[in-house]
Order: sequence, then structure tokens, then C-alpha cells
Amino acid sequence: MAYSDKVLDHYNNPRNVGSLDRASSSVGTGMVGAPECGDVMKLQIQVNDATGIIEDAKFKTFGCGSAIASSSLATEWLKGKSVDEALQIKNTDIVNELSLPPVKIHCSVLAEDAIKAAISDYRKKQGSDVAVTAAQTVA
Amino acid sequence: MRDIILGVSPCWNCGASEPGRFCDACKALQPPVREYFAFFEVPPQLALDEKDLQQRFYALSRKLNPDLFSRKSPQEAEYALDATAVLNDAYRTLRDPISRAQYVLKLEGFDVGEQSTKDVPPELLEEVFELNMALEEANMGDPEAMDQVAGMRIRFEAMLIQTDAAVAKVSAAWDATHTREQLSELRGLLNRRKYITNLIDKANVPDRV
Repeated sequence: MAYSDKVLDHYNNPRNVGSLDRASSSVGTGMVGAPECGDVMKLQIQVNDATGIIEDAKFKTFGCGSAIASSSLATEWLKGKSVDEALQIKNTDIVNELSLPPVKIHCSVLAEDAIKAAISDYRKKQGSDVAVTAAQTVA
Repeated sequence: MRDIILGVSPCWNCGASEPGRFCDACKALQPPVREYFAFFEVPPQLALDEKDLQQRFYALSRKLNPDLFSRKSPQEAEYALDATAVLNDAYRTLRDPISRAQYVLKLEGFDVGEQSTKDVPPELLEEVFELNMALEEANMGDPEAMDQVAGMRIRFEAMLIQTDAAVAKVSAAWDATHTREQLSELRGLLNRRKYITNLIDKANVPDRV
């Protein structure tokens, strides 16, 4: 099976590899894995607490080319988005952008899971803020 | 037991009921049953007697050898080919405790291939991530780092032995009491094992000159 040019591009020049300060309250960390292929993916976001905008995103993935490309693409898309916008990113968007074949769709699912896990970690750290947001939504 | 194991369709050749692998009445070979434990006529179990399985495999290989059916009806010759294919797949799957466990999980409705990240304990992901990082750093280093990689490989292999022992233990427990919890523990162990074998593969890049 051949990788698409976009997958190869992300694989050869992955964007935003690295890590952010896990202890910081404005950093959310998502660690996910796909047991069937033995992949692990860590994705982190740094959020501006005042604006709710994701200012930086980093990842490190141990896995196949498609898993690396999916997480690399995800970090590109995350930067500049609000946390709520980031939650709208769907694995199918990644599949379409990278032209992933059916057998590699789970890699995009993994990237979506990583985004959600990172956001959920960030929100957990922000604790009280989540409650406020939720209350406002209800009102 | 025999009904469950070899099916209840009447003999395709003479119409006798409950024909078994070969029809009792006309001796015609019947189409093979596709469930592997049933094919070997053993109860589904994780801690299988592998020696016994091997003997069954050899005996059936002789009985089902397609050459023996070349002068029989085309129908029987085809069943012999089909049965031999099932025999080989079944033996390959059941002779190894890990692939056997995967097969049993599938039979019991635990889909091994389609798991989400929710099925992996976070501690395992953290551990695997850290081990991968350490291995990557060791691999990127100078030739002296080879020692470090070799050391990690020994550590991974020890982890694999521990995991296999845990698999054997829960396998024996499932054979005795058949609970869903045991199967779910088994699946967790197989996931862990997959991560460990991946790490071993990565630590197994020997002597690149």
C-alpha cells in the first residue's frame, strides 16, 4: 500500500514534534494508544487562558506513517483555534486531507481521540472555569 | 457433543443424519466445520494440551490428504481441499497460546482488532511512551549506545516473560470458571504484550554497520 504525498510529507517533515510543560495549568495533555498496532500518541495543547485560543500544539507519536501524519496534521490545525472549535475536528477531516486508505482510518481516530483527551485534560485543570462555562450554557 | 461439534446437516451424499466428519453410512467426507476447536473435536479452552493437538493435526492431515480423494467424486475432492485448508489455519491458530487466546476472545465476542484507546490503561500508555522515548534516545546516540539498547532489550524480554506467565495464569483460570472478567483481563494482557513485542522489535536492530 502506498502512502499519499501528504502523508509522506508529514512523515518526512513532521510539524510540531516535541513537548510542552505538562505541569502548567494552561497545557492539556492527551496520551492515547492503539493496542492492535502498538502505537502510542502524545498530543499537547497550550491554551491562552484569557482568550481560550490554542496558541501552541506539540505531539510525539510512536507508530506508523499514517499515525505520525495524522497527529502532525492535527497539531497544525489546532493552532489558532479556540478550544470549542478544536472539538469540532473530526477524524474524517483528517482522512480526507491525508487520503488515508480504509485500513488506516483508525490512525485518524487515534488523532481525534488525542485532541479530545488533551482538551479534557486542559479543562480538568481549569476546573472551576468549566463549571462557569457549563452554567452559562444552561442559562 | 458430536452434534455441536460436527454439525447437524444430513450427509450430502446419502442423506443419513448426523454424519460426523465422514458419513457413518456411506463413508463420504463431509464439508468441514469452520470453528477451530470443533474441527479438532476438542472443547474450547485456553490452556490446551499442545502435544495432543499436534497428534490430532498429524492424524487429520493423513485422513484428509487431498491425494486420497483425487479419484473420488469432484464434490469430495473439493471438501478434502477445503478441510485441509481449515486444518492448517486451525492448527496455526490453536497451537500458539497467544493466537489461541486471540481466537477465543473473538469467539467470545471481544473484538480484538477494533479497540479504542479507552481499552488501554493510561499507566500502560505512559510506560510504553517513556520506554519508546528512552529507546529512541539510545538509538540516536553513538555506537556506545548499542549497549544501552541491548540492555533495554533484555528488560523488554523480561517483561514479555512476565506477561506470558500472566497470560498462562488467567488462561487456566478461564478454563476453570469462564468469567467475562477473566477474558477482559486476558485482552488487557494481550494489549500489553503487543506493545512489548513492538518494543523488542525496535530494540532488535542489530549491528547496522
